[in-house]
Amino acid sequence: MWKFRHFLMALVKLDLRQRYRKSVLGIGWSLLNPIAMTIVFTVVFSKVLGGGADPIAYAASVLAGMAVWSFLRDSALTGCSCFATNEAYIRQSPIPYTVYTLRTALGQAIHSLIALGVVVGMVAAYQSDAAVILRVPLLIPGILLLFVAAWAAATIAAFATVFFHDTKHLLEVAAQIVFFMTPIMYPRKLLDDKQMGWIVDANPVYWLLELTRIPLLTGQLPPIEMYLAGTGVTLALVGLAVGIVAWLQKRVIFVL
Amino acid sequence: MASIDVTDASITFTATQNKQISLKEYLVKGLFRRSVNPQVAIHALTKINLTARDGDRIGIIGHNGAGKTTLLKLLAGVYTPTAGKSVVQGRVCSLFDISVGFENEATGWENIVYRSYLQGETPTSLKGKMDEIAEFSELGDFLNFPVKNYSAGMRMRLAFAIATAIEPEVLLVDEVLAVGDMAFQIKARARMKAMMSVSSLMVVVSHDLNTIKETCNRVLWMRRGTVVQEGQPQEVVAAYNQDSRDRAAAAKAQAEAGSQPAQSAQVAKVA
Repeated sequence: MWKFRHFLMALVKLDLRQRYRKSVLGIGWSLLNPIAMTIVFTVVFSKVLGGGADPIAYAASVLAGMAVWSFLRDSALTGCSCFATNEAYIRQSPIPYTVYTLRTALGQAIHSLIALGVVVGMVAAYQSDAAVILRVPLLIPGILLLFVAAWAAATIAAFATVFFHDTKHLLEVAAQIVFFMTPIMYPRKLLDDKQMGWIVDANPVYWLLELTRIPLLTGQLPPIEMYLAGTGVTLALVGLAVGIVAWLQKRVIFVL
Repeated sequence: MASIDVTDASITFTATQNKQISLKEYLVKGLFRRSVNPQVAIHALTKINLTARDGDRIGIIGHNGAGKTTLLKLLAGVYTPTAGKSVVQGRVCSLFDISVGFENEATGWENIVYRSYLQGETPTSLKGKMDEIAEFSELGDFLNFPVKNYSAGMRMRLAFAIATAIEPEVLLVDEVLAVGDMAFQIKARARMKAMMSVSSLMVVVSHDLNTIKETCNRVLWMRRGTVVQEGQPQEVVAAYNQDSRDRAAAAKAQAEAGSQPAQSAQVAKVA
């Protein structure tokens, strides 16, 4: 993999530029989309679902949640078309297929990091405390786990799509369901109060989400159990991805 | 030190004749009646053996669909054998499918960078080569435009210039000599000759039997995924020519008799 770092980084840079080529707002769209969603959620839902928190705190929580969530979702969804996009390279060169799924995950990661940067700014402005920026190092372990999980998810989705073309459509439906089951628009307390906390506990996305959201919003490291759970989720995904690669890597080219 | 060791390598894969698979097809697969979408095993290569050491120049000949390109892709590592082994040592340069795989929105210059990195260049090693590639492609200012605006000939030129800019130990060629206009073809031929002389090992697939006779010291004649004959270029090419003439005569006789040509036996039905 290391041998192909130049190839990989050059393509990631290209993707980034290409995404907004000929667009007036350019990279601003990376920001505008989650911000617009957050404004809508805040205006409409902060009273209903906010659990008494003030609108800005609610907005920061939603935006942080959206950034992490859309990173995972988009990595898996764009992962589906990954091998089709890179087919010409695949047919020419014997480089590991995980380079291509890494291209997908890295591209998505950059956009999500921009959105997370906005959250940092929002929280800092709201608490009128520039020291919020010092929280950034606390995010690193969570983001690293998240990134590996997204790469694994993109890899699984890419291989699955080659052998079962409906994967993307199934994934879209599943993503919609998981989005509503994950405490992004509402605090987890809302479900706990109704004795439905187990839905959140059983949701792997929740564990990855909190590892980034808690330190970002509170400045505290999440408890060690959360890190263990998040690591467990990531390892499970990586294990599945490694198994699938070992099983199907040699056959993909004949089916593509 | 470059080497190729292919032992008993086979490539077999299954394909369905109609790619669209319906839900019904999925659920009742073979339960009640024979599938309308039967899985077919394709034996692209069967028990191929090939050994080559430094200095070898190997030519592969055969009719279309004989498995020549598949063998080349096996050597390049794009395909892995489904049985047997294939070990290739040395820096490989493969010249096949070169005109695909451009990033269409990116400029010619950018594509030179991507392709070269894919071939294993590093930013430092590439620095000196960029201008040389650009010059050889003769595309001039067009390199500043996105590749999607290029004509097929221009894409071929650029692809050829990039692909041949490395110093390979193992050179794998699949009839790429028809590149661009007449003037460029002469240049391309000269470049190919130069590459062939510096590479320590070469495998070339071609229908141009004269080129094969001139450049190769060993020839493989393939048919339906197997090697029919291997040996001195003169002998194998002569045998292949004789076979082609026999087939043409047979086909003519058959056409006169009004019967249909037999189906290829390469495709065998799987129960």
